[in-house]
Amino acid sequence: MATVQVRYIVNDVDAAIAFYDRHLGFKTVMHPAPAFAMLSRGDLRLVLSAPNPAAGGGQAMPDGTQQTPGGWNRFAIEVDDLASTVERLRDAGVHFRNEIVTGVGGKQVIVNDPSGNPVELFQPILSEARLDSKP
Amino acid sequence: VTRIGIIGLVLSATAVVAGSPQSQEHTAMTTVRVRYMVKEIEPAIEFYTKFLGFQLKQQNKPYFAMVSHGNLELVLSTPFGPGGAAKPMPDGRTPEAGSGWNRIIINVDDLQAEVARFRKAHLHFRNDIVSGPGGSEILLEDPSGNPIELFQPSK
Repeated sequence: MATVQVRYIVNDVDAAIAFYDRHLGFKTVMHPAPAFAMLSRGDLRLVLSAPNPAAGGGQAMPDGTQQTPGGWNRFAIEVDDLASTVERLRDAGVHFRNEIVTGVGGKQVIVNDPSGNPVELFQPILSEARLDSKP
Repeated sequence: VTRIGIIGLVLSATAVVAGSPQSQEHTAMTTVRVRYMVKEIEPAIEFYTKFLGFQLKQQNKPYFAMVSHGNLELVLSTPFGPGGAAKPMPDGRTPEAGSGWNRIIINVDDLQAEVARFRKAHLHFRNDIVSGPGGSEILLEDPSGNPIELFQPSK
């Protein structure tokens, strides 16, 4: 059962569902309304909300500011071979913000979803950077 | 002490399946990683550990820290420094702290009480509590202006 929840604001929920399902291995948990869906991948539950002036998770702020996709905060997906994953996604027409960069703990790249939200793919170099590494 | 849990929406009625201890072991939680860009590491560590019950797992000040809550691993990165997350994009865009609306959701039992507690501590919210079919929620900001959704599911 998914235990960590993240909400992304997307312009088109159906396009987002297709993207996350086809390219990143998410499953649809529910899609009860056009402006809302819940997907899961392992213990991550990804809640998708379309900007909405009136109601729901994509509701505008009291001053009228609309929620929008984008920004730099993101969830990360660990992969074993970043180069081959990037190649596969590029072949499928997926858009990236950058090229693979190497940091302190590993290599990473940022994928854009159809609304322009970032998803990080990373390949750990340091064992401590690996998800579920044992101390 | 108020209990803050990062848990799934209450769908457990359908998710609970009776099984042997072995089969339950296969459903053990795995870590989910989220990265937030922050302006400064130290105030971010203090915020997440003091107010939201996170534990500090790693830090490499002043560029990087990792805090965790349950199986959420929240990576805090500055848009400067040696880390991969600080590097500018090929088109010249640079990572920015506090921008955007994508966020982690933290479930709480009593949203009003949490909001009162945080307001008393002079924390900043983007909005007021809003209610929908699934529950009530509000957007809290961390010291860099990143949103955190506090959510109380409908009973």
